[in-house]
Amino acid sequence: MLEIVDLHAKIEDKEILKGLSLKINEGEVHSIMGPNGSGKSTLASILAGKEDYDITDGDILFNGESILEMAPEERAQEGIFLAFQYPIEIPGVTNSYFLREALNSIRKSKGENPLKPVEFVKIAKEKIKNLKMDESLLNRSLNEGFSGGEKKRNEILQMSILDPCMSILDETDSGLDIDALQIVANGVNSHRSPDKSFLVITHYQRLLNYIVPDFVHVLVGGKIVKSGDKSLALELESKGYSWLES
Amino acid sequence: MSEFLNNIKNQFEKFCGENPSNDIVNDFRIKSFENFNNLGLPTTKDEDWRFTNLNEFYKNQYSIPPTKKEFNKNLISNSISDLDAHFIYLYNGKLVENDNIDNVVIKSLSSFLNEADLNTFNRFVDNHSVKNRDFTFELNSAFINDGVFIDVNEKAVIDKPIVLINYFDSSTSFSSYRNLINFNTLSSGQVVEYTFSDRDINFFSNKTTSFFLGDSTNVEHLSIDESSYHSYIFSNLKISQTNDSNFTTDSILIGGKIYRNNVHPVLNGQGSNSNILGLYLSKENQHMDNYMFVEHVEPNCGSRQLYKGLLKDSSKGVFHGRILVHNEAQKTDAKQTNRNLLLSDKAQVDTKPQLEIYADDVKCTHGATTGQIDKEALYYLRARGINLEDAKLIMIRSFTEELLEFINSNFILELHKKIVEEWFLNSDLAKTD
Repeated sequence: MLEIVDLHAKIEDKEILKGLSLKINEGEVHSIMGPNGSGKSTLASILAGKEDYDITDGDILFNGESILEMAPEERAQEGIFLAFQYPIEIPGVTNSYFLREALNSIRKSKGENPLKPVEFVKIAKEKIKNLKMDESLLNRSLNEGFSGGEKKRNEILQMSILDPCMSILDETDSGLDIDALQIVANGVNSHRSPDKSFLVITHYQRLLNYIVPDFVHVLVGGKIVKSGDKSLALELESKGYSWLES
Repeated sequence: MSEFLNNIKNQFEKFCGENPSNDIVNDFRIKSFENFNNLGLPTTKDEDWRFTNLNEFYKNQYSIPPTKKEFNKNLISNSISDLDAHFIYLYNGKLVENDNIDNVVIKSLSSFLNEADLNTFNRFVDNHSVKNRDFTFELNSAFINDGVFIDVNEKAVIDKPIVLINYFDSSTSFSSYRNLINFNTLSSGQVVEYTFSDRDINFFSNKTTSFFLGDSTNVEHLSIDESSYHSYIFSNLKISQTNDSNFTTDSILIGGKIYRNNVHPVLNGQGSNSNILGLYLSKENQHMDNYMFVEHVEPNCGSRQLYKGLLKDSSKGVFHGRILVHNEAQKTDAKQTNRNLLLSDKAQVDTKPQLEIYADDVKCTHGATTGQIDKEALYYLRARGINLEDAKLIMIRSFTEELLEFINSNFILELHKKIVEEWFLNSDLAKTD
């Protein structure tokens, strides 16, 4: 589904990714772990199409097509979703209005009819119920005044409503207490299916107790230096990253 | 400038000859014209006109309007003519037709002036605070004749909003008119002023609307100006409020090459409250200058200014927010906010607060912000599948909609939204830098 080939990227004059390769097939959950500054969030932003980066070499293929020239909205319309590490607050735009616009933009790109507000609210309420979240979330301004945990849960709600096939979670676990962590993990797990893939970026092994990955990769210095199964995460938890940094 | 002054002087003599009135009015015109001459025409060296250069305006020659004609109502936009309201029609500044409204007296300003005794005249025409003398208002006084007088009876609650339509056609060159709107004790209502003109005409509009709010009145006002983009518009909105009166005014500035929007509420009675809202929507080379002068005279009054600018292309905006709290006006609560969203690197705003406080127990705050659409927010919206153009529109809408929180009247709220959405549609907002 997603294939990253020898990706080199820099911001301003600083090279962050230095030849990163990764292949994610349908239904797989991959986790990327790594120390601060290793390029984890840069990778997430580049996959979502943030324009601040220069791709100097390599390619990103999504279902076999390069997405490097695609705008963020086109990638989202194709089914790529990034749960932000720091979701943006937008006063004056309700969560409900924002999500309906987003969903209808995606539907429009597929040639489907837009949902009417009533139809949308019905779907949204159902999702909210499944995620054990509060309905009032819909009528509040987008992320405005949300606690850290609420923002992260709202990202998962968005994922659930927009129903992407490739979800990238950028340190969604940071700043979450154990209850919120479970809610987030349940949201992800209920979204898992044979045709949906995940890339879970995290600093800690903790989240992977709840979202069990098929593969774990270690990102150090802009490259994947080691890959393995879920036991690699436990090894990292006990040994740290220093043994992998040369 | 001297040619401009000569032109105005000739027009004034012609005007007085064509519109003879009683001694009270004649004397007032002459006195006002003297005031205008003494003030002189402003330049950017005048503090109150620092950011607005009128040199190109002074190069024009203008003449007073022709006699009144029949109003072709098909010219009015459906957004206005379809409203469920009482209509009053002004053509080139003159009252031509009006619906009859229960408990409301409507007459042309010239008949009002002819009939008014000295007391009435002084109360409605010559009783404005002179703390801020301005050439546009003095000139409006000198040319006093056109416009409408609206008098709402005591305790009357007007069943439907009053919509005043001001239309200017291509025969207009210089228009000066004054609307006097008086709400007597315990009355309430909503008044919309909608101004438009033939496209592309260059005319000089110098208008004044004066509101008089009696005790315990409740009035909401919306002013929309969609005049030609080649016109020079000088607008004075003066409000005089007595005890326990509540006033909300909302201005949407759309037309004009240069627009000077003077708003001057005077809180003259205890317990009164004024909301002063505005949205200036500018594009191309438009220049919109908002001069607020909120005067707190009596204690225990509140005022809330919220003016927002949305500036496209090379347009310029000015916000001058002056608050004067007189020494008797204890417990004043005055708040001023100006926010601007620049949709282009070439758009520009000058904003300046000016607080003069002579009482010691008051709450007075001001704040101003100017910025562009938040790039991180745009990226966030796009990352959810929303196209760049739609994402921009969402951000722009969220910026302008803050004003709606302060509007109580559903009628005004809906009309405000409709007019702003129309401007969005006509302004190619997606094509911003």
